[in-house]
Amino acid sequence: MAEETALFVYGIVPSDVEPTENASGVGDPPAEVTLIRQGRLAALVSEIPLDTPLGRPADLRAYQELLDGTAAVAPVLPVRFGTALDGPDGVTDLLATHQDRFAAALDELEGRVQYALHGRYREGEFVAAVLADNPAAADLAEQVRGQPEEVTREQRIRLGELISQAVELSREAETTRLLEALGPLAVASAPRAPSNEMDAGYAVFLVDTERAEEFIAAAEEYAEQRRDLIRARLLGPLAPYDFADAHELVG
Amino acid sequence: MTIATTSGGGSGGALQQQGSGTSLADVVETVLDKGVVIDAQVSVAVVGIQLLEINARVVIASVETYLRFAETVDRLDIIPKKQKGLPDMVEGASGAGSTAAGLGKTVGAIGGAVKEAVSGGDDDGGDKRVRQRRRERED
Repeated sequence: MAEETALFVYGIVPSDVEPTENASGVGDPPAEVTLIRQGRLAALVSEIPLDTPLGRPADLRAYQELLDGTAAVAPVLPVRFGTALDGPDGVTDLLATHQDRFAAALDELEGRVQYALHGRYREGEFVAAVLADNPAAADLAEQVRGQPEEVTREQRIRLGELISQAVELSREAETTRLLEALGPLAVASAPRAPSNEMDAGYAVFLVDTERAEEFIAAAEEYAEQRRDLIRARLLGPLAPYDFADAHELVG
Repeated sequence: MTIATTSGGGSGGALQQQGSGTSLADVVETVLDKGVVIDAQVSVAVVGIQLLEINARVVIASVETYLRFAETVDRLDIIPKKQKGLPDMVEGASGAGSTAAGLGKTVGAIGGAVKEAVSGGDDDGGDKRVRQRRRERED
C-alpha cells in the first residue's frame, strides 16, 4: 500500500449488530464502515488515510449520523471523535482487554437513547421582562433610548451588563426547572453548558425508548409552559454521547 | 439537509423537534469531546490522526454582547406597548430575525476551522489550521 492508513473508530456495539449496506463514514470520499468483531463486542470502524486531516463539517455529520442511526436499532457506546487505531489487531486487542467493561456499558444502554432539550430566550421578550422587573435597568433604558451609541456608550454597557446578569441568573433557574420537569422521565440527566448568550435551560437525557413518547409529551408540555419567553428545541433520538463518560476508561 | 418538523403542526406545538442532520452548531455541540476516550493508556494501538481545529464553544459575555442587548432595548421602543397583546404576530415577526442572529452568534462562538469551513462551504480549502493530535506513548 502506498499510503499509510489507520482505523477510525466510531463506536462499540454488541457483536450481533450488522452494518447496513449504505453506511458511509468520515473522509472524502466517505469511507466504508465495517465491523470488527471480538467476543461479545464489535467496533464500527473505517479505514482512513493518515495524511488527510479530519474534522470537516461533513466528517462530524457522518460520525453523528452513523452513531444516531445505530443507536436507533442497537445499543452503541460512542467513541470520542478523532480516535484511530493502527489496525484490526489493535481493535480486537482493545475489545478483548476491556470486554467486561464495554459489555456492561452496552447492557446499561440497551433500549435507551439520548435526547437534548435546548431552550433559548426570545430576546425581545426577555429584555422587556428584565426592564419590567429591574428599576435600575429601566432607568438606563430611558437614558439610551433614541440616543446615538457614541454618547450613551457607558450607559449601554451598564444596561447590557444588567441584562446579561439577568440571563445568567434565569438560566440557572431554568436549567433546574428543565431537569425537574423531564428528569423523572429519564434514566439519567445532565445539564449542558450554554452555547449562546441567550441560552436558557439546556440539558441532556438518557431515555428508555419505551418511555420516549411520555418523555416527548413532557418536553412538549415544558415548551408550552415556557413558550412566551423561551424557544425550545428537542434534539433526538441521539446516540448516548453524554452518557458514555460514566464508563471512562482509566489507565 | 436540515430536517425540522414542528410537533403538532400548524400554530400548535411550542416544541421544535429535530433528529440527526441539524445545524452544524448542533452537530458540534452534540458530538465534540463526547464519548469514550481511548488513549494510549488504554490501548497502545492508538495513533494520532490530524484533526482540523475545532474549538469548543465558550460563551463569554463581552462588551459587544452588552451593546447588542442595549440595541434590543432600542428596538423594543419602536414596538407600541399595546401590541404586546398580540404575541403571535410579534413573535412570528421577531422570531425569524432572532433565529438568524442566534445562528450567526453560535457559529461565531465556535470559531476556528468550523467557522472557516462554514464560510467556505464544504469544500476542503488548504488554509485550514491543522492540529496534530499528540499522543504520549510512554507508559
